Amino acid sequence: MLVLTRKITEGITIGPNIRVIVLEIKGGQVRLGIEAPHAVQVHRDEVYARILEENQQAALTNAGTLPPFIQLQDLVKKKA
Amino acid sequence: MIIHSTRFGDVECPEEKILKIPSGIIGFPASTRYLILDHDRDVPFKWLQSLDQEELAFVIVDPVWFKPDYRVTIALDEISELGRVDERELVMFVMLTIPSDDPSRMTANLRGPVVVNAGTRIGKQLILREEFPTRAPVLHDVPALPLPVGHCISLVECHR
Repeated sequence: MLVLTRKITEGITIGPNIRVIVLEIKGGQVRLGIEAPHAVQVHRDEVYARILEENQQAALTNAGTLPPFIQLQDLVKKKA
Repeated sequence: MIIHSTRFGDVECPEEKILKIPSGIIGFPASTRYLILDHDRDVPFKWLQSLDQEELAFVIVDPVWFKPDYRVTIALDEISELGRVDERELVMFVMLTIPSDDPSRMTANLRGPVVVNAGTRIGKQLILREEFPTRAPVLHDVPALPLPVGHCISLVECHR
């Protein structure tokens, strides 16, 4: 991993069109500003991890788990 | 062509029904070709079946079915990989997680919908910036059956 030290208002440039700037450092937290084209998805690690975990859970559904129409009606009634 | 599926056996499907997801569903980068299969004619659920991994399939639904006010904002260059986009041809579905011990507790991932360009049949899973839940209860919000079958998904459906 490349490790760089930056002060407030200083940044780094990644490739031709991505910039990351340190905006604020306070109480163990760093605020970053990120300039990137829309095509580059930027997410907090934990959001990405949550989607990935949810996809893995979703992939576990068996064909028999999904109720057919009749049972689904009962499920909806139960919830109502 | 015939596709092989762990859950449904061999399924006959015309090649033009293939849905391409070039960057894959997040966590499953090896699968980039999918088919949409009916579950039961009268429910709004469909199966998103991988052609590249026969054991990989997701239950999907048109989010508008249980969340009529669900709207997302997408920048066009965010979905540049879908090819030339005509907004009227953009469709969307979300994936469901269904606990095997209690299907009535099924949830939908509203934070990571899949958007599809019906014109090019290319899709992409988004991660939305809006704080939508990844585990939104589904049946909780459904008023009553019978229900309109997801109009958007019918554009890319395939029968088994």
